[in-house]
Amino acid sequence: MPKKLTLNLITPEKQLISDLQVDMVVLPALLGEMGILPGHVKTIVQLGMGSLRYKKDGKEEAFAALGGFVEVLNDVVNVFAESASLADEIDEEAEKQKIKAAKASLSNKDADIDFELAEMEIKQAIARMKVKKRQM
Amino acid sequence: MESLRDIRQNIKAIKSTQQIMQTMKMISNARIRKAQDAMTAARPFAKKMLEMVDDLKQDILSMPQPEEGENLAGRVFVNRTGDPSKIGLLLITGDKGLAGSFNAVILRAALQFLRDHKDKQITLFAVGKKGRDFFARLKMPNLHIAYESVGIFPKVSYAHAELLGEAVMKAFLKDKLGSVTLIYNDFKSLASQNLVEQKLLPFDFEHIKKEREESDFVFEPGIKEIFDILVPRLFKANMYRILLESQAANLAATMNAMDAASKNAGELVNALGVKLNKVRQAGITNEILDIVNGANALNG
Repeated sequence: MPKKLTLNLITPEKQLISDLQVDMVVLPALLGEMGILPGHVKTIVQLGMGSLRYKKDGKEEAFAALGGFVEVLNDVVNVFAESASLADEIDEEAEKQKIKAAKASLSNKDADIDFELAEMEIKQAIARMKVKKRQM
Repeated sequence: MESLRDIRQNIKAIKSTQQIMQTMKMISNARIRKAQDAMTAARPFAKKMLEMVDDLKQDILSMPQPEEGENLAGRVFVNRTGDPSKIGLLLITGDKGLAGSFNAVILRAALQFLRDHKDKQITLFAVGKKGRDFFARLKMPNLHIAYESVGIFPKVSYAHAELLGEAVMKAFLKDKLGSVTLIYNDFKSLASQNLVEQKLLPFDFEHIKKEREESDFVFEPGIKEIFDILVPRLFKANMYRILLESQAANLAATMNAMDAASKNAGELVNALGVKLNKVRQAGITNEILDIVNGANALNG
């Protein structure tokens, strides 16, 4: 029987995947996508924003992962994501609304808002939508 | 002697207070479940993070020494260049009273801490209204409040932990604090809370128990970049866990205090009820005596 990877996906708020046996994980690393197979060297990777996918018994499941990092050690993949959501659960309309709202607050120069935060929100929403589109 | 009316009014007042206390107890009871769930959900992140730091121990300790206090990771883990005469104190209390000794215990410990370190410059971080007010009342020249946050309970989210973590780390780095100590109540069980006083920064490897000889990790993009994001993340995850613990502990304390108070109120009502009956009986006896005496006088 071929070796498997043990995948954990954790955000500060909750554990999304715990000790799942998978065949392959694709990470949205900061410098581009990165595939992890069993027997990978010990690695710490910084995550960018994008789709995190894993293959299990020929089926692929996708998540939108936004920032954080990943530890790969002895065929255990621990993903510490800042935020993550299952692709199926992403609501494109809601994301569009979020972008709209953030853009509106950005263009309003008088308002006392956190520009970095608003820009971050836009980026995150776009990343989530991309993952969703790709999946369909 | 109190009149019947006075006693009846008294009983009524106590009963309505009791009702309020019972309601508060039920509210805490309902919230505590949520708080506990959030706490359990947040635990794996903090735990796994610590495990990872454990794995990385060798790499951290052999990391090149950073330049004078510029690099947070270095400051936190390796290069302890902080000024020992400057320290920080993070106090996490509740926003409201009516929680038994929950806040009093923390404030007493904080006062003791301030007394022990009164020759040092102390930077204060306050979460919770009680702690904030406590610091504001103190008029000691060696204190200054760097951060305060009130009204976050009982709806703590990760965003609060981020703000708090950011503020503490910034002060730690910028003001070159020698250490930051944390005082809060840990959630032990529904019936009890634990006062915890622990050193938050610099990071303490002592309590990582298991020795694992892991090294030679591949870092992408690089060890410095990784640590620059890993350290704040680790710290904030820890802050989040602590806030949630404190929140659950506070709710549990409120629940217990209100439970005890409404029991006391019940006893008071019972005692007053006995008294009421006695007074009423005395009144009746007096009236009967009056009548009998009157009748005797007429007959005699």
